[in-house]
Amino acid sequence: MLSLASTPAYLDVANSHWLWLSTLPVVLVVLLQASIFLRRAWSDGKEMGLSEEQLRSGFKTGVISAIGPAVAVLVGMLALIATVGGPVAWMRLSVIGSVAFELPAAELGVSQFGYSLGDENISETAYATAVWTMTLGGTGWLLFSAFGTPHMEKLRQKMGNGREKLIPVISSAAMLGAFAYFLTGEVAAGTPETGSVATGGIVMLILLRIADERDVQWLREWALGTAMIVGLVVGVALQVTVGSWW
Amino acid sequence: MSGNESHASTDGGTNVYEDSFIPYVNAWGRRTNLLAVALSFGPAVVLLTVFDIAPPTEAVTSAFVAVAATYGIFWFIEPISYYPVLGIPGTYMAFLSGNISNLRLPCAAAAQESADVQTGTSEGSIISTIAIAASIGVNTTLLGVGAFALVSAFQALPELWRTALGSYLVPAVFGAIFAQFGRDYPKVAGVGFVLALAMTMLLEGGFLGFLPGYPLYVVIIVSVFGTILVARWMWENGMLEPPEES
Repeated sequence: MLSLASTPAYLDVANSHWLWLSTLPVVLVVLLQASIFLRRAWSDGKEMGLSEEQLRSGFKTGVISAIGPAVAVLVGMLALIATVGGPVAWMRLSVIGSVAFELPAAELGVSQFGYSLGDENISETAYATAVWTMTLGGTGWLLFSAFGTPHMEKLRQKMGNGREKLIPVISSAAMLGAFAYFLTGEVAAGTPETGSVATGGIVMLILLRIADERDVQWLREWALGTAMIVGLVVGVALQVTVGSWW
Repeated sequence: MSGNESHASTDGGTNVYEDSFIPYVNAWGRRTNLLAVALSFGPAVVLLTVFDIAPPTEAVTSAFVAVAATYGIFWFIEPISYYPVLGIPGTYMAFLSGNISNLRLPCAAAAQESADVQTGTSEGSIISTIAIAASIGVNTTLLGVGAFALVSAFQALPELWRTALGSYLVPAVFGAIFAQFGRDYPKVAGVGFVLALAMTMLLEGGFLGFLPGYPLYVVIIVSVFGTILVARWMWENGMLEPPEES
C-alpha cells in the first residue's frame, strides 16, 4: 500500500500466479513431514507410556507458543514481501529460512547488478539472481540435516561420556548456552531489548513458580505466550520513555 | 501419576523409541528434506522457464560464494549445536521449516515443561516432535493468510507498534526460555551467560578479528560447547543437583 504508486516492474512477475503455484509443492512437503512425524510421535509416545494429557498438553503448548513468534515473523515478512514479492517471501519463511538469512541473501543477489533492495528500478534478471541466491544458500542446512542427523547422536553420546544421567544435563546446558548467545545479542542491541529479555525471564520464573506451587496446568501452557507479550510491552515502554543508553 | 508404576516399562519405552520411532523418522526425514531441496527450486525454475528470465551464471555464482562465505559455517554449526535440544526428529523438522531460535526451539522447550518431560530424554524428544509439528501448522497458516490478507492491516499499524513487534517480542522469548532452563540449573545458566556475554563483547570490540570471516560462529561454538563442557565438569565434581521432581 505504502509504495503502490512506485511499484517496481519486477514485482509484477514476483507476485504472479505462476510464482504462487511454484511455491506450493515445497510448503506442502513441510506440512506433510510435520503430519507424518506428528502421527508417529503420538502413537509411539503412547506406547512409551506418555499419557494422553501429556501429549495433548505438548501439542497445545506448541500452538499457543507459536502464535506470538509467528506474528513477529509476519512483521519481518513485510520487508521481504516488499522486495521479493508475496510468494517467495511466504515460501522462504515457511520453509528453511528466517528473515535474518533471506534478506541479506537477496541483497547479495541484487547487489551483483549494482542494486540495493528497495531500489525501484531493480531488473528482472537481478531479481531472479536474488531468488537463485536464496534458494542455493538455503540448501546447505537441508542437505546437512538430511545426511548428518543420524550421526549426531554419536556426537552427543560422546559429549556425555556414555553416561545416561548426564544426557539431560548436557542437553539443558546446550540450551542454556544457545539461548545465552541469542539473548546477549539482544542485550548488545540496546536498553529496550535488554528490558524485554529481563522481563520475559522474570515473568516466566514467576508464572512457572505459581504453576508448580498450585499445580495449574493451563498456566504452564500459557507461560511463554504471556511472558513474550509482557516483555513486548515493557520493551515499547522503555523505547518511549528512556530510549536506548547504548 | 502413572510414572510410579511404569518404572518397569521404561526399558520397553526406550526400545519403542530406538527401534521403531527413530528408524522411521530417519528414513522419512531424509526423504522429505531431500525432496524439499529439489522443490525449493520451484520459483527459480518458473522464472527460468515460464518468464524466460535467466540470470548470468557468473552473477549467481559470485552471489552464492558470498552467501557461503558468510553463512556456510552455520550450515554445520547450527544443526550440531541445536541437536541436543531438538533431538533427531526435531532436527529434520526445524531445519526444513526454519525460524529455529525464535520459534521451533522455544515451542519445543515450553511444551517439554508443560508436559513435564525432561529435555534430552526419549519422552522429551516425542513431546518436542509434537510441539514443533504444531508450530509448523500455526506458522505456515498464519504466514499464508498474512501474505495474502494481512499485509495492508500491518501497514496500517502505527510505526511504533510495527517496530515493537519486530524488535521486542523475540528478546522476551529468549529471556523466558533461558529462565525456564535456568530454574533447573542456575549455576549452568550463570556460566552460559558469562561465556556468551564475554564472547559477544570480544566480537563487538573487534578482538576476534584474527579469525577468518565474520567470527560470529566462534561466539556460538564457545557459548554452546563451552557451557556443555563446564556443566559436565561441574556434574562430575558434584556441583550440580538434578532438578527437583515436582
